[in-house]
Amino acid sequence: MPSFFKLSQRKRLRSKVKQQKEDPMKVDELTEPIYPLLEDQLSFIKRKTGNSADVVVRKASFDEKLGIKTAVVYVEGISNSQAINEFLIQSIIMNRELHRKSPVKDPFDILKEEIVALGDIKIHLEWDGLFQSLMSGETIVLVDGCSKALSASTRGGEQRSIEEPGSQVTVRGPRDGFTESIGTNISLVRRRIQNPNLWVETMKIGTVTKTDVSLVYIKGIAKEDIVNEVRSRLKRIEIDSILESGYIEQLIEDESFTTFPTFYYTERPDIVAGNLLEGRVSIMVNGTPFALIAPTVFIQFFQSVEDYYSRAYLATSLRFLRILIFFISIIAPASYIAGTTFHQEMIPTQLLIAIAAQRETVPFPAFVEALIMEVAFEILREAGVRMPRAVGSAISIVGALVIGQAAVQAGIVSPAMVIIVAITAIANFATPSFAVAISARIIRFLFMVVAATFGFYGIILGILVLAIHLTSLRSFGVPYFAPLAPLVPSGLGDSVVRTPIWALKKRPSLIANKENQTRMGENQHPRPNKSRGMVPRNPQEDQE
Amino acid sequence: MEKAKIGAYQLFVLILLFELGSAVLVPIAIEAKRDAWLAILLGMVGGILLFFVYYRLYRFYPKLVLTEYMEKLVGKILGKILSFGYILFFAYSAARVLRDFGEMLLTYAYVNTPLFIVNTLLILVIIYAIQKGIEVLARTGELFFILLYLLAITGFLLLIFSGLFDLKQLKPFLEDGWGVVLKVVASQTLYVPFGEAIVFAMIFPYLKDSKKIKIAGVSGILLSGINLALVMAINISVLGIDLASRSQFPLLSTVQSIQIAEFLERLDVFFMVSMVIGIFFKVSLYFYAAVSATTILFKIKEPSKLVYPMGLAILFMSITIANSYSEHIKEGLVVTTRFLHPFFLVVIPVILLGIAYLKNWGKKRKSQNGAKNTSVSQKG
Amino acid sequence: MKRNYLILTLHLILCLLLAGCWSKKELTDLAIISAMGLDLNAKGEYVSTLQVINPSNVAGGLQGGGGSKGPPVTVYTATGSNIIEVNQIASTKLPRRRYYAHTNLLVIGEELARKEGIGNILDAFERNPEFRMTAVLIIAQGAKASDLLKVMTPVDKIPANKIIKNLRFTEEQWGEFFTINLQNAIKDLTTTGKSTVITGFSVSGSPEQGKKLENIQDSDPETTIGATGLGIFKEGKLISWFEGKTARGTGWILHKLKNTGISFSWMDKEDAVVYQVIREQTKSIPKIKKGKPHITIEVKAEGNIMELRMPADLTDPLVLLKMEKEIEKSIQEELLLALEEAKKNKTDIFGFGEAFHQSYPKEWEKLKEEWHDVRFPELAVDVKVDAYIRRTGLRNNANELQ
Repeated sequence: MPSFFKLSQRKRLRSKVKQQKEDPMKVDELTEPIYPLLEDQLSFIKRKTGNSADVVVRKASFDEKLGIKTAVVYVEGISNSQAINEFLIQSIIMNRELHRKSPVKDPFDILKEEIVALGDIKIHLEWDGLFQSLMSGETIVLVDGCSKALSASTRGGEQRSIEEPGSQVTVRGPRDGFTESIGTNISLVRRRIQNPNLWVETMKIGTVTKTDVSLVYIKGIAKEDIVNEVRSRLKRIEIDSILESGYIEQLIEDESFTTFPTFYYTERPDIVAGNLLEGRVSIMVNGTPFALIAPTVFIQFFQSVEDYYSRAYLATSLRFLRILIFFISIIAPASYIAGTTFHQEMIPTQLLIAIAAQRETVPFPAFVEALIMEVAFEILREAGVRMPRAVGSAISIVGALVIGQAAVQAGIVSPAMVIIVAITAIANFATPSFAVAISARIIRFLFMVVAATFGFYGIILGILVLAIHLTSLRSFGVPYFAPLAPLVPSGLGDSVVRTPIWALKKRPSLIANKENQTRMGENQHPRPNKSRGMVPRNPQEDQE
Repeated sequence: MEKAKIGAYQLFVLILLFELGSAVLVPIAIEAKRDAWLAILLGMVGGILLFFVYYRLYRFYPKLVLTEYMEKLVGKILGKILSFGYILFFAYSAARVLRDFGEMLLTYAYVNTPLFIVNTLLILVIIYAIQKGIEVLARTGELFFILLYLLAITGFLLLIFSGLFDLKQLKPFLEDGWGVVLKVVASQTLYVPFGEAIVFAMIFPYLKDSKKIKIAGVSGILLSGINLALVMAINISVLGIDLASRSQFPLLSTVQSIQIAEFLERLDVFFMVSMVIGIFFKVSLYFYAAVSATTILFKIKEPSKLVYPMGLAILFMSITIANSYSEHIKEGLVVTTRFLHPFFLVVIPVILLGIAYLKNWGKKRKSQNGAKNTSVSQKG
Repeated sequence: MKRNYLILTLHLILCLLLAGCWSKKELTDLAIISAMGLDLNAKGEYVSTLQVINPSNVAGGLQGGGGSKGPPVTVYTATGSNIIEVNQIASTKLPRRRYYAHTNLLVIGEELARKEGIGNILDAFERNPEFRMTAVLIIAQGAKASDLLKVMTPVDKIPANKIIKNLRFTEEQWGEFFTINLQNAIKDLTTTGKSTVITGFSVSGSPEQGKKLENIQDSDPETTIGATGLGIFKEGKLISWFEGKTARGTGWILHKLKNTGISFSWMDKEDAVVYQVIREQTKSIPKIKKGKPHITIEVKAEGNIMELRMPADLTDPLVLLKMEKEIEKSIQEELLLALEEAKKNKTDIFGFGEAFHQSYPKEWEKLKEEWHDVRFPELAVDVKVDAYIRRTGLRNNANELQ
């Protein structure tokens, strides 16, 4: 078979090419140590940054007598100019009488210990580290004659302030959401978990962008295996840029041949905090307000954080509703097609006559009609996303009018179809997680095709395939459909139903550390005072 | 053998789905007429006994499946021949059930579609599932178990509300005497579906907690037996014995009689859903047993590659084993239940168990003798 | 290797899609048959009548402007030698594919029921998966099934629906006629100890006029369909009709009655009081007394007095007790009448034989051979009626003319 040979040929070529090509990621120069002379240093920096206008070089010298030249280099815009002016430049310039204090000391040490009045300072010996610091907003202080450079943390610049998150809006609950700065985000989580066990491991991922990525977890509650696995996967990433947490998600997820997400992402710090307390791990990426949470199970996508702030009955009924909605959004059009094309006996006679009367005027078979309507709706939806706010309402009117009324009256589609499509679309919007809603959209089309070819039998087989696929997924070793399948009875309290808070005594056993699973004391069920009810009263009490 | 672990609850679910699989849809034990439910219950008792046979064999060789310890007990050559026989038996059973399913679907829902298409679709899904492994199958089983029971309970409630039950149809009790009932038990219900639990002898080693197998298995068979008896009793009460015995698929006819409030009619689609689910698991488990046994016998390194070809083989077998539905049924009654089932399901395991006991007893003797010789006393 | 499997699967899928869908039925290609009728013609062939729904004339849709005032149903007839053939010949006239899944009514002409009986006919319906076993079965009394199905009906646009609903409500409110569906009929046919009973409908007025749409343009249509009798069968063949009190008596014994009105005489005035039954309970208890079969029928009825045409003091419970006795007598009469008629016809329509089968299987073996002809007519039957008057409506005593 010729194709066999082509396969192996291609493989051989590919490996050859790999050997010949250089890894474009590594640039050798930067591993060299820093040049000793100030002028050389500055010219190197200028050359490396291409004389970028926002790289500011401020020469200063401290100490009259010694005349040690220094330079302060920072990038405007991503650094806090006020801090630089006050604590660096001012300190250096004001310090004129250094030789009096300690004449023999290394100017670099003097700088480090007595002049730079900022916290978080690092010493760099190589260009690599220096540039990393410079490009992340820290200020570099160079001393003439030293092969070392000092960097001080002066990160700042214009950023979005903490606002209400755009997605996952709740009625009850905190209204702060993550911003693009990773420092702010971590601080929002810290404020909620004021415990030294909240560990933050930061690494820079992305060879060109050098994005800060932090791994956050609560030591002792999170399972060690999971933390190690996440860490090793993060370290394994080799890519030039990480612009959003979505990049990371796609690079380290368990299974890419699926439409369902194995990571949960959120903009809300209370969700992150809640998940951390259950033993999960969070990945935060600088530059995006969306944090990732792993490991995830399927049922999480039907839970909203408000469930935990509301009382049990409300939460439970809402969860049931959401699952029902999900099923409707997948199966509704397919069922309609299957019912009217293969299994007309299922439909009550009166309804069948009504539908038949409607379909008399429509030239297309049910499947094509459904397809037209669904595609039209998807187009409308995409248009609604792109439209600027002002025109957005026009889209809804146009959509309703054109599709709804005119198409029906022109006899292109039947009213029943419009109703089905509308219900499906609304059900889709009601799904709490956007990622799952998108999956539902894609799967809905597959189901429609299967229903048009094989009727209900096809739908059932489709559900079977879907179930097999979902139950075979794992998210960092945790089966995707836990706690329903495999059945973990202790986890059932917080899955499809939500038993009251005082009943959720343990953390999910598959995710949290085995030793640290109890999170609540005994007898937390609120018990009102016995003073209510029919209790004999002390007559003397009454007199008083 | 793959690296998989199943929990006891999953085993229970698998046993239940397997037993209910196709048995709930065909008129089993109908020769016992109005006492069919009794025949089923007795068959269930027999099934539990057979289960203990398989379980005891497992306890002798906890890490091996049926075809593996067969070699140990009867010698390599005979063991290999028997294993091959079992492979054929499992594959043939899978093909039979698949054929049953295809015929059912074609009879009332998709009359004009060729059998090949319907069977192919199901086999493709089963191949997909088996490739993922027994763990995935077990988890899917847990999900569908809930769905199936919801459907069953809804159906039952609907039947009650339609007022279709006529318990008097079950009288007279034991009209033809115990003879007929026992005959039916010995020739039918013992094997189908209770004896078919032998497939689980290929699955026991995967259990996480081997102590719980007994209770999972017994409760699975118990529950499925009660369910089947109940279903047959319902069929007879609603349809009357004549219709029930003349129907090819009595449960379908029962479901079709439901008529409530003028719009809940013709609910055969629910029937179709439960049928697909039940048969899916039955064929999957037989198929899995066949693949497993083949892998062991021929020492194949990558079982997942074996799944496709075996699947196709079973598909073709299901089409070629009979020309018409009646031939298929007759073959089942004459060939399968009279020869194949007693041989593979009862005779061989009992013999194996006997040999295992003898060997063990022999071992104990030896160890006791050895202990006597060396003057160290050991608590045997 | 993975790629090859992918290609193989793709091929399979393509094959499936290309070959087309075999069992697909577009709604607009279906002729939804609401009722089917069977007759016997002079040559002994079957004549089938199919009542097909015209959806656009039934449903009030918002499209298509003012719907054409066509008839809601169209009727097609065909002749053939067996059921399947006769329907297939009908397809030569139908513009669409025959679809039986919504055929809720089956009408058998009286002649066919008498001459051939219904046993053989029903097999074709049983076997076909498209047919509903819950379809209602009626006999066209004194008419041909085709005539019955051609009549246009007011209120319910589809005549089949009218007949079915008609039957259902009269069963509930009057009790003389009851609904039998295919499944029940077959059950009865195959039980040795019970004979079939099927309601009969007849056409009053001219069938020719009934066919026309103008028939329903009148406030008082000239031609109507109504339930008129209870068909008694023996061994699958129609032998007689029960009407009036006999029919109601049968309803009592078969426990099909829900509400009905019983008028009885009071103080020498005929039909002076009407007792409306709300609930009733009938039990037929078989016993073997001295080797002979014996049935005790116990009826318990509860109801209200709903019409009083002569002065009586309904506030006095003793008066009510006396009335109860009268009622019991009335009911007993009806029951005995029905029993008499059935015995005369030598057919056990009440299922007593089956009751014996269930309770005394050994004795039944001896009894069953000649049950309908010999044993049943000889059957000793005891009728016990217990009637209770619970309420008297909104008034207690009748208005008295001053």
